[in-house]
Amino acid sequence: MFSSFRIQRLPSSHPGIALAARLAAIVIALVVAGVGIALAGMNPFDLGARVITASFGSSFGMEDLGVLVIPLILTGLAVAVGQQVGAWNIGAEGQFYAGAFAASAVGLFVPGEGPLILILMFVAGLVGGAAWILIPTLARAYANVNELITTLLLNFVATLLVYYVATGPWRDRSGMANSATPPLSTSVPEFWGIVHWGFPIAIGLAILVGAALAFSRWGYEVRLVGSNPSAAKYAGIPVRKHLIMVMLLSGAIAGLAGMLEIAGTVHRLQGGISNNFGYLGIMVAVLARGSPIGVIFSGAFMALILNSGIVLQTQGLTTSVVLAITGFILFLTAIGDELSYYRITREKPEGAA
Amino acid sequence: MELLTGLLTTAFLAGAVLALAALGEVLVERVGVVNLGVEGLMAMGAVTGIATVTAVPSPILGFIAALVVGAVFGMVFAFATVYVRANQVLCGLALTLMGSGIASTIGRSYSGMPAPVTFQPFKMPILSEIPIIGPAFFSQNILFYLIYLILPIFFSYLMFSTRHGLNMRAVGENPAAADAAGIPVNLMRFSYVTIGAALAAGAGAYLTLAFVPSWSDGVVAGRGWIAVALVIFAGYRPIMATLSGLLFGMITALGFIGQARGWPIAPAFLSMLPYLGTVAFIIVPVLAWQKMRRAMAAPASLAVPYYRDMR
Repeated sequence: MFSSFRIQRLPSSHPGIALAARLAAIVIALVVAGVGIALAGMNPFDLGARVITASFGSSFGMEDLGVLVIPLILTGLAVAVGQQVGAWNIGAEGQFYAGAFAASAVGLFVPGEGPLILILMFVAGLVGGAAWILIPTLARAYANVNELITTLLLNFVATLLVYYVATGPWRDRSGMANSATPPLSTSVPEFWGIVHWGFPIAIGLAILVGAALAFSRWGYEVRLVGSNPSAAKYAGIPVRKHLIMVMLLSGAIAGLAGMLEIAGTVHRLQGGISNNFGYLGIMVAVLARGSPIGVIFSGAFMALILNSGIVLQTQGLTTSVVLAITGFILFLTAIGDELSYYRITREKPEGAA
Repeated sequence: MELLTGLLTTAFLAGAVLALAALGEVLVERVGVVNLGVEGLMAMGAVTGIATVTAVPSPILGFIAALVVGAVFGMVFAFATVYVRANQVLCGLALTLMGSGIASTIGRSYSGMPAPVTFQPFKMPILSEIPIIGPAFFSQNILFYLIYLILPIFFSYLMFSTRHGLNMRAVGENPAAADAAGIPVNLMRFSYVTIGAALAAGAGAYLTLAFVPSWSDGVVAGRGWIAVALVIFAGYRPIMATLSGLLFGMITALGFIGQARGWPIAPAFLSMLPYLGTVAFIIVPVLAWQKMRRAMAAPASLAVPYYRDMR
């Protein structure tokens, strides 16, 4: 008797296989990157060892990671929150800049210092990020214009705007550096080494949003809108209201990432303050399968990748290698996600009992 | 007069990049696939073009090399999205990250130096003497005519006047029906995704071999994304895609001329014009032309993978 195998596509994917697919994607991408590095005439194991020592070998390395994790968790959370309601926010980069811009305006021009200014900057960051996604949000909610492209295009506008103010009207006229604003009056206090309080804020926010989505009535409605808008509408859920609120929340979280970056890490506004954090946030959210809690872990992983890019830079490689590797992981993850819907079953031979 | 000539010439040059990339994406989306990797493909094409002409001084060879590289990346993307049926949005974003990352890694050694050879414009006798449109339209390089005349007319004819074009559109609208009618859905999708990706990379090569003409990090500067947006604006039509590329060339040219003539607007704001213009141009038509909606609609099965065995 011969038994044959049959490939079956299931209506839902197996979470364990999806997770395994992510791990496999990462391993394959790193192996390919290692082969590429070896072909370029360098020793990949040697470089890998350097990356590990630089990241975990000293408390400085750990602190660097801690600082990098903050914006990555937040931009990842921004994208993940959008996914929950069925919106692709590819504009976290732009909202990051807008939040940094608005918070800098407060830090530079509102007289005084101390906690009150810090709170104002915090609010300005949230509002700046939300304002930057307002037009794409309204266009999606009222005219069904694809938010993917509109949010993305505004990234370039925000980058140009920050570059303009940092080299133009807000430029530091006192020193030699003329491509950045003067230092901000207030900064987010340190929490551990050079890691500032943005770290617990980012993790706390991810847990808070995750809990709200999982356990509250609001969260249930949002998830329903995201998975089946017509069913949600039929059930009397205000689809449009949820869509608008969640997209604005997504923008606000990305704006907060920008605010924390300038007020906690960089301390002044300059062009290129975002290390592609907005784009890497997409990656963080996808690796976490859109789960706000998962974003904490995938954010930490991306921080390690980004940090290794900075180590590689000292070895004569560019940070763009990291972008390419990230893209490759994303590509393999997308394939793995689809494959996780399949199951191989053993078919009983015809006629057998 | 001189201003108008300069504006038109720059507009045609700048618009050709967008027109070619948008035309490629029209082909991809008509068969029901969204490729968001245009930005990365253009970066790969741009760096391939410059690397080729540095080795062999022939711009045509540089352009062909870019087409080949684009086609190879397109096949990888098409394999993942058409045969494996992986999420098209994710694969497209991944392609953009990979293409941009690889291109700037390779491009580092070519950064800042001008292209050793470029596509040279040639003046058509008599026609180039016509005021305004003469210099703008009849004194251009060979690719220019390919992009503005030959390709859009060819693909428009193919798409709307042949049986093959009908099949192609059927695959984008209703792949199950097309499959039942005996059209090879996956092969059709695979082929046009590959061709579209090749054209996107070709647009990148045009950037470094005719328009800028040199490589620098970030030389593509969002043009791939504008091209993706133009496809929607153009209602998924080849000739309209070319014309909207030209329109955005005009907007870009306005920014250049403003900078050159020292208009009292900061260059950063002039550089924002194409992006803001694109956002406006995909939102406004939806609100303004409600009646046109059906004619300009996206293919019904856009971004939906086709499973033959799903019943």
